[in-house]
Amino acid sequence: MVEGVVARYGDRTILDGVNLTVQPGEVRAILGGSGCGKSTLLKCCIGLKVPDAGRALMLGQQLETLSEADQRQLLTRVGVLFQYGALLGSITIGENVALPLKEHTDLPPAVITEIVRLKLAQVELSHAENLLPSELSGGMRKRAALARAMALDPALLFCDEPGAGLDPLTSAELDELLLRMRDRFGMAIVVVTHELLSIRKIADKALMLSQGKVIADGTLQEVIDTDHPEVRAFFSRQAAGELRGPPSALDVLRGTRT
Amino acid sequence: MAAVPQFKVDQSAEGPVLRLAGTLGRPEVRALVAALQTASTGRATLTLDLSAVVSMDSAIVATLIAGWRQAQARGGKLILGAMSPVAETALAAFRVGPAQKAPPSPPTVIEALGATALSTRSAFLDFLQLAADVTFAVGAALVRRAPLRFSAVIEQAIDIGSRALGIVGLITFLVGLTVAFQSAYQLQQFGAAIYVANLTGVSMVREMAPLMCAILVAGRSGSSIAAEIATMKVQEEVDALQVMGMDPLRYLAVPRMLAMTFTIPLLTAMADLLGILGGFLVGIFYLDIAPVAFINQMLSSMVPWDLVSGLIKSVAFAWGIGLIGLYYGFKVQGGASEVGRMTTASVVASIFYIIVADCLFSVLFYVVL
Repeated sequence: MVEGVVARYGDRTILDGVNLTVQPGEVRAILGGSGCGKSTLLKCCIGLKVPDAGRALMLGQQLETLSEADQRQLLTRVGVLFQYGALLGSITIGENVALPLKEHTDLPPAVITEIVRLKLAQVELSHAENLLPSELSGGMRKRAALARAMALDPALLFCDEPGAGLDPLTSAELDELLLRMRDRFGMAIVVVTHELLSIRKIADKALMLSQGKVIADGTLQEVIDTDHPEVRAFFSRQAAGELRGPPSALDVLRGTRT
Repeated sequence: MAAVPQFKVDQSAEGPVLRLAGTLGRPEVRALVAALQTASTGRATLTLDLSAVVSMDSAIVATLIAGWRQAQARGGKLILGAMSPVAETALAAFRVGPAQKAPPSPPTVIEALGATALSTRSAFLDFLQLAADVTFAVGAALVRRAPLRFSAVIEQAIDIGSRALGIVGLITFLVGLTVAFQSAYQLQQFGAAIYVANLTGVSMVREMAPLMCAILVAGRSGSSIAAEIATMKVQEEVDALQVMGMDPLRYLAVPRMLAMTFTIPLLTAMADLLGILGGFLVGIFYLDIAPVAFINQMLSSMVPWDLVSGLIKSVAFAWGIGLIGLYYGFKVQGGASEVGRMTTASVVASIFYIIVADCLFSVLFYVVL
């Protein structure tokens, strides 16, 4: 899906030669600490950032090389769940879910309405069809955004930190929802996250980034067993400062580290 | 061990030794700085003996590190000798951040002017690009090559138009009143009070109504456009539209631009009438001009071009306000404070544009044409 991707903001290199693949029916986690490049990698995958080098492919096609019509067609097969939902605040939940259906299909309004109700029922938000996003809790907004991402039955779903800002129970419910989607529809799911419980529950394979480079890639167990200090620290929740970060005053005065 | 803080410099075979003892904290920092400066000179290696330290806080640790940096800068060394367990624990507890580079010196006037010129040029080019893209999107929607969300246009028109009716009407009425009073004061001296009708009619329709209407709309609706789009950008709603295969310009910009284009001239026409009404009331109640005489005098002094030129200006103002609001909205990066900053910037830029455009129109309509 991405091959040798390099991404920069100004003169800062955020991603440096990253490769990532995902198979149908697989949940791929992109892991790493804050500032490692996870969100930038996601943006490259979904076409919001064109890589400075390398290729980002979506279902085997490079978005920026396609015509406008082909881009729109390709994007109908992809769903994105943004970190805070990104529901359009001026329209109801039902209208949000209907948006991609109205935009990309010529289905009759009555059918669209039924599809919206189906999707909302899948995420257990049937009661929220006529509510505005501001009238829902954070967890409900996430589920509504998931319903919208699923509106066109995508083959590929991207989730940007789905558990961010949620309490553990709601986060667990969302994880269950993602797994049900995978099992029922066989879609590939790419999840950007740093929540260990979530990773262990849903991820089939994982890729871990550190300072823009891949430091581990494989099945979840392979990644956990990687003999890399940062990977071990990540999964054992060891404080980052013990591995990297500034030296102690003791080390400096001893001349051990500067 | 004694708890009284002490600093003592001894000489050893390897060089000077600074012995610290007792309870050391912020009050002892100055004394420690003086002791370090006395003990450590040139390229000598100064050894710190902390074996008698009873306690040490972060200020003392920081002072030792500062001394270490200064020694390095001189080409010398500051090293650890014996340490009490307390001193070792204190030193291990604090991490040493890297020395930051000195901030660059402030730019000279020429450099600042140059940087401003470059950033203004870049912003202007970005604005032109957005204007071209929006114009194309509006054109495509009007010739039906792209779907048009008619309900969104109506919604925006109601928001921009109906909610501005009250304020625009009141302000232009008062402006008409004021213009009439000010002109009456002079014209009465020459027995030419009737010409208040001419002045009120022509000035309101040609200039004051379009100008005042545009400035009010810039403050009310232009800022609203900037704030809405900026908030959507910050909340990733614009990104969401993009990844759903929807052009944010078509979805967000086109309805707003069409609404502005149709609504502002209507507001301006209303402003014309209310501004003239203000002058009319001054004429009949203050100057005792017969109502019919006032109206006839006003109409005889005006030509259709007065109204048309005012409406042409209003369309140009509408496009400028809309485009500037969209530009600042889409430009935002960051959080809530940036939304506020961009909204304010859009209002200032819009008002500046209105005044400049008005001046250019004046030259074009009354000098060139």
